Amino acid sequence: MADTPPPVEITPARNRRRTSGASIIWIVPLLALVVAFGVAWQSYAARGPVIVVSFTDGAGIAAGETKLKYRDIDVGEVEQVGFGENLDQVQVHIRLSKDIAPYVDASSVFWIVQPEVTAQGVTGLSTVLSGVYIEGSWDTEIGEYAESFRGSDVAPLIKPGEGGLQIAFRTTTNGSLTDNAPILFRGIQVGQVGRAQIARSGAFAITEGLIFEEHRHLINSSTRFWETSGFTFSVGPSGAEIDFSSLATLVGGGITFDTFVSGGDSVRDGEVFEVFEEKETARESLFTTSAVDPLRLSIIFNENVSGLTVGAPVELSGLRIGSVDSLAGIVDFNQFGDSRVRLNVIVSIQPARLGLPGDVTSAAALSLLQDRVANGLRARLASASLLTGGLKVELVEVEDAPLARLTAVGLDLPVMPTTKSETSDAAATVEGVFTRINNLPIEELLSSAINVMNSAELLMSNPDLQETPGDVRTLLGDISGIITSNDVKNIPVALNATLVRVEGLVAELEQQRIAETLGATLTAAADAATAVTSSVEGVPALVADIQAVAARAATLEFDTLIEELTALTSSAEALVSSPETAQLPVALKGALDQLNATLQELRAGGAVQNVNQTLASARTAADSIAVSARDLPEVINRLNALFAQAGRTIDGYNQGESLSRSAEAALRDIQKAADALAKLARTIERNPNSLLLGR
Amino acid sequence: MQVVCMELSGISKKTVTAREAGLVACTRCTRAWPLGTQVCGRCGARLVSRDVHSLQRVWALWLVGLMCYVPANVYPMLHTQQLFSVDESTIIGGAVELAHHGAYGISAIILIASVVIPLGKFWAIAFLALSVRRHTGFASHRRLVLYEVVEYIGRWSMIDIFVVAILSALVQLKGLAAITPGPAAFFFALSVIFTMLSAQAFDPRMIWDAQTNDDEAPDHG
Repeated sequence: MADTPPPVEITPARNRRRTSGASIIWIVPLLALVVAFGVAWQSYAARGPVIVVSFTDGAGIAAGETKLKYRDIDVGEVEQVGFGENLDQVQVHIRLSKDIAPYVDASSVFWIVQPEVTAQGVTGLSTVLSGVYIEGSWDTEIGEYAESFRGSDVAPLIKPGEGGLQIAFRTTTNGSLTDNAPILFRGIQVGQVGRAQIARSGAFAITEGLIFEEHRHLINSSTRFWETSGFTFSVGPSGAEIDFSSLATLVGGGITFDTFVSGGDSVRDGEVFEVFEEKETARESLFTTSAVDPLRLSIIFNENVSGLTVGAPVELSGLRIGSVDSLAGIVDFNQFGDSRVRLNVIVSIQPARLGLPGDVTSAAALSLLQDRVANGLRARLASASLLTGGLKVELVEVEDAPLARLTAVGLDLPVMPTTKSETSDAAATVEGVFTRINNLPIEELLSSAINVMNSAELLMSNPDLQETPGDVRTLLGDISGIITSNDVKNIPVALNATLVRVEGLVAELEQQRIAETLGATLTAAADAATAVTSSVEGVPALVADIQAVAARAATLEFDTLIEELTALTSSAEALVSSPETAQLPVALKGALDQLNATLQELRAGGAVQNVNQTLASARTAADSIAVSARDLPEVINRLNALFAQAGRTIDGYNQGESLSRSAEAALRDIQKAADALAKLARTIERNPNSLLLGR
Repeated sequence: MQVVCMELSGISKKTVTAREAGLVACTRCTRAWPLGTQVCGRCGARLVSRDVHSLQRVWALWLVGLMCYVPANVYPMLHTQQLFSVDESTIIGGAVELAHHGAYGISAIILIASVVIPLGKFWAIAFLALSVRRHTGFASHRRLVLYEVVEYIGRWSMIDIFVVAILSALVQLKGLAAITPGPAAFFFALSVIFTMLSAQAFDPRMIWDAQTNDDEAPDHG
């Protein structure tokens, strides 16, 4: 510090910069400010206007994220999402980019693009990852500025600024339309159908359709459209045929078309085409339907019209001139004077079918019909088909018809007067028969039958009734016991013994030829017979016969004797079948009849309470049978006694073979009687029901 | 010499400045010359005892830095694109979000590095620049320490930009995830650069002039 450095020659390394009051550095913040303001102004100036689009719901829309796209390019961004008044709508505020804003005019449409899987394919797949966006569509003309729009949830079929033939489709009577169905031509999609709507009148569905610009020339006024389900199956003379056209139409249906004749006029936007059910109807329609609007009439029927369907023919003298459009009930106190429901049938009549002279218009057709109605033309229902019972509407000339006119009141359709319907047709008769069959109380019958079954089941399962066969069996056992009792069995033995003795006696007579002895013997026989008569009442004939035999024997005419003996045996047989003997089966039959009657009564009454009574009766009957059976041994005893006496009487006679044969015949008869009894017994044993059922 | 003075700042002895000693130091090669020498005879640098325009530069650059700091906080710093979502977060927004998820440590680091330190620098530079002209109750030595700290810490503010740059370079998984720097990164870098320049533009020798102007101001050291 003490030494001052020597002065040095110094050459400035560089020129010294001139300094002024303010440093040049202030340019930097100024520049920054200018840039900042510039950027701010630019970004402000580049901001487009805000539009408000209303949607019913804002699925996936987020402020600051969701983009507005036009032809898949971002042209705006959602700035704010809010609700409209009453919270009924979602209002989306979209900041448009400045350059596109002038084009967004009142004709613009907006919709939300979101992933969608339909029969026609998958759309909006990119939005699965990126989130939904709003697509806008507008034409390429700069239009008037509009601020608020109504957005749709689905992509509109017809977008502004896009070409294509815009037409509308209307269903025919039985047709149907599917939303967004493709319009195919030779299997290629040339257009699309929009969302189907029901027409205000409710009679058909209508939808707009778009034919893509490049296929526009395919459509002209004679083009006919029909539904294609994608799958047709037909059986014809050439065999069965299956036809698949496209999987998409198989699922979602579709419309196809063809121009069957040449020379159609070109079609402008807004033309309405009908969609037919199938190709054939579409083709036929070309030749049958005229371009004239059909004449629509209202016909009010009082009677039952079951069988009348939409599409049923309307015929005039057998010629089909139209069809039934719709069926509906109508109640109009002012018009009819009561509140009964009548049937309002709306028919459409093709004026061209009437063969009108001059202009074929519906007005001309109406005036023609008005004229005819004044002359007695009336509508009535008639059978269209015997098999189906379908009805049709027939226009017939009725003589002496009450005065009526076909007039339209206000906006209503003209009302066609009616006449009595042809209900006496075969179909009506058949229908009547069916109605009567229908009216049969089948259900009541069935329930009655079920009741009977139940009662029968109750009856069957009744212990008392179940005991009945046992009782009957016991009864039969008793009968069987009687038949197999020794007494009965001894009858043949006794008879045999008697006959042997008779044989021996006859032989002895042959040898001795002593008439006196014989006479005495016969007298004894007569005595014996008398004794028999005294013991068994009702055998005077036998006694007489024996007396007669004895008398003949006195004459020693042996042949006659033998015959008389045979007669005697017959008489014995008669004795077996004498009232007392016969009483047994009669009593048995009586008892069974009583049982039968009781059972019938039981059946008729159908009451379970009667069962006990019946069984009591059955028991009584069985008792009666038992009593009858008890009499049997007595009868047999008496028979035995008779034969014993006869044996004693004829003792000593030995007349040979013929007598024996006669006796055997008698025995056989007795045997038969016994067999019959046994058979009855077996039958009853085998089928106890017969006792109950009476057969 | 000033380095020596700084090292001895704890000493309560009144510091003698070069100017008072009739000298001027070359700020480039530190060679001291007699007062009035225009150009450094050794390195050719222009010699000024006090840079009179220093404060103007400080304030101008400080202002630009502050201007840049506004968009740096308003615009998103990171643009994170994941599989299904795009996330843009500002510095403070990101820190708040981290805090919400419980990462208080990281959140604090981000807040300190990106908010507290830059704001502190702005305050410190402004304070130093103001204290040259006006008397403050802050010892010259302390102000010098503050200046050293600001100069030292300035470059570390760039750590944010480094993180963004590294993430942007590394996380580029096509479709799955991608990170790109947002506009705030650019402005934040500018802000850091301008504050650093601002700090460098400050002539710390003026700290001692203020002491001289204060005359016998009591040393609070």
